[in-house]
Amino acid sequence: MDVVFNNTQTRILDRLQEIFRSELDDDDLIIGMDTRQADLKAWDSLAHIRLVSSIESEFDFQFSLAEIEEISSVRQFVDAIRSHLP
Amino acid sequence: MTDATARPVAKLPVQALPWLPRPASKMRDRLAALPADVIEALGAMRALAQAGWEEAELRQLGRKISSILKSAPDSFAADAREQGLVPIHLLMLSASTASHLADAIVGTAIRFGFLLQVTIAEYEEPEPWLARHRDELKRTPPDFVLIASDNRMLRLASPLGDEDAATRTIEAVLAQVMRIAEVAAGATGKPVILQTLADDPDAPQINMDRGLPGSPRHLADEFNRRLALQVRQAGHLLLDVEGLASLVGQSVWSAGRYWYAAKYPFAVAMAPLYADHIMRIVAAQMGRSRRVLVLDLDNTVWGGIVGDDGIEGLALGTGSPLGESYAALQRMALAWKERGILLCISSKNDETIALDAFRHHPEMILREHDIVAFRINWDDKAANIKAIASMIDLGLESFVLLDDNPAERKRVRDALPAVAVPELPDDPSEWISVFQAAGYFEQISFSQEDRLRAGMYKANARRVAQLERIGDHDDYLRSLDMTLAIAPFDQPGRKRIAQLIAKSNQFNLTTRRYSEAEVAALQANPDAVTVQARLADMFGDNGMISAVICHTNGKQWKVDSWIMSCRVLGRRVEEAILQHLVRAARAAGASELIGRYIPTARNGLVRDHFAKLGFARISEEPNGETIWRLDVGQYLDKELPMKIEAAAPAGSASAA
Repeated sequence: MDVVFNNTQTRILDRLQEIFRSELDDDDLIIGMDTRQADLKAWDSLAHIRLVSSIESEFDFQFSLAEIEEISSVRQFVDAIRSHLP
Repeated sequence: MTDATARPVAKLPVQALPWLPRPASKMRDRLAALPADVIEALGAMRALAQAGWEEAELRQLGRKISSILKSAPDSFAADAREQGLVPIHLLMLSASTASHLADAIVGTAIRFGFLLQVTIAEYEEPEPWLARHRDELKRTPPDFVLIASDNRMLRLASPLGDEDAATRTIEAVLAQVMRIAEVAAGATGKPVILQTLADDPDAPQINMDRGLPGSPRHLADEFNRRLALQVRQAGHLLLDVEGLASLVGQSVWSAGRYWYAAKYPFAVAMAPLYADHIMRIVAAQMGRSRRVLVLDLDNTVWGGIVGDDGIEGLALGTGSPLGESYAALQRMALAWKERGILLCISSKNDETIALDAFRHHPEMILREHDIVAFRINWDDKAANIKAIASMIDLGLESFVLLDDNPAERKRVRDALPAVAVPELPDDPSEWISVFQAAGYFEQISFSQEDRLRAGMYKANARRVAQLERIGDHDDYLRSLDMTLAIAPFDQPGRKRIAQLIAKSNQFNLTTRRYSEAEVAALQANPDAVTVQARLADMFGDNGMISAVICHTNGKQWKVDSWIMSCRVLGRRVEEAILQHLVRAARAAGASELIGRYIPTARNGLVRDHFAKLGFARISEEPNGETIWRLDVGQYLDKELPMKIEAAAPAGSASAA
């Protein structure tokens, strides 16, 4: 039941945590479901695209252009990822 | 067969750099386990970088390197150099987004032995940026400038069907790019890297367009063709992005969504390949291109095991698909030989049986005279490659090994990390495309010497045989019937002089690199005395083998650079050149020659060069640099075992 396990919110959040630390270049960063783009100075528009490309490569799917534009919080990332995973 | 599980099953696309072994774990786990010592950590990251990481992980590596470099103590650069890691600084000018590429390029650079610092200028026309940063560029010039032009920067557009208008458009855009290159070259004094333009898959493209003036494809074609010629003529460097895009496929190369979302010039997944190509060019310009291809025999040059299957049992040439693919591989090796690459054979085999097949198999394309050195025995492959390296007197970092056996590949990678060993797909018919895409033999210029090189190395092997026969070294030198032709730098020699300056690492007193344009400037400089020397003997023409640059300053001549090809070591060429310099200095009224030796990881060979020539040491700096002086009045002419044909040195007549 690996797929179900991978789809759980906490499991996705764990993987996002690592990606955020890498892409925002902050090894001590701790994100939660309620973290928003406005809360993190390093999460600027270029960092956003790096997050998007890293998440796409980590989870092996593609965001739509509309999603890239709309997403502005960790929760939105998690929801979008869940909607793309099988 | 320890690495067998790590080998790819499915065919990898070019952008995955399929010639590199696949990474065995996650980058972030590997980075978390790095040693604390800075130099050790960099060494570990250099080893990590030898695998084919995907873009996001490559960026993590690059970011880690940058952060280590930022906090490293000043003293560390010398230690890093000792480990063969050379700090360089790249300035990248882009009208699109480029900052996301910086980390990937840094992560790639360490694979080539460079500690790269990247400055990015993005979203802006390069000219105003260069103008704004002129003082800074003069103060701390980057080693390389990359003008990452794309459609956004160039805006090629012209009415359909109007040939004159198309020509004018292309020439105007070309003039603009070349002007940027000249400004950058003027500011940094270094050759500039320019890019060809990838076709835009989103533009209308119909079959007739290549012949239709003003169509996007026609404009890009014409622009690329003319750019490539001008870059070559101006002595700049070309990054063929169009070649890359067509290799992976235009629609794969294209940024797609990422263009709309963030103005990325090409797809994210292309960054490792793009970075690899930048570093190939940089490495070639820094004298680090590879020059030797070592081939295995059984199941590499031919199908089957000659000791078991016999000559008649080998798959080679017409008659079987497998045989055709091995023949194609031999043709590939021969094509590289035509470009100056030395071919060698290293094989675990019975020498008599293997050589017999090599000589007598009717479908062999490689002939014995194509091969510079054979090592056929049952010894360890790594030991054999080392033996070849000392036989032909080239460093292991010049070597590439093509071998079908994964265990041998791993053994050589582990024992000799400097040797490039491409991973190969299981099917030999797919080897050639992977090998060619790896681009091991990047060259920045082409001279006639390149085509003749293999012959020169073989002639050297014959000279060694003659020395063994004669015994006494001076008798041997006289028996060679040498003629040394000495002349100042000139236009016909310029490409080869620039190549010698770019590639020589061992017999190179100061390792100062000058571009072709700088070499041309020296030729016209009245305060410079330049020497190029060619050596011929009874076994053949060695071509141009030495270049010396002196700066005159009244009664003092300073030797800025002294370079010689290691092919002619021990032939007393350096003594003949010194004699020539002394005579020129006397004729110009100078009284002393000042020499400098700057140590690097690779030029220990010439540490005592000036001492051997009779110079006196006048100072030594903490980093090992030494300065030497020769009183030209005290110099006594020598009896040299060669005929010397000297043209008057330029510049000396007017010196004080």
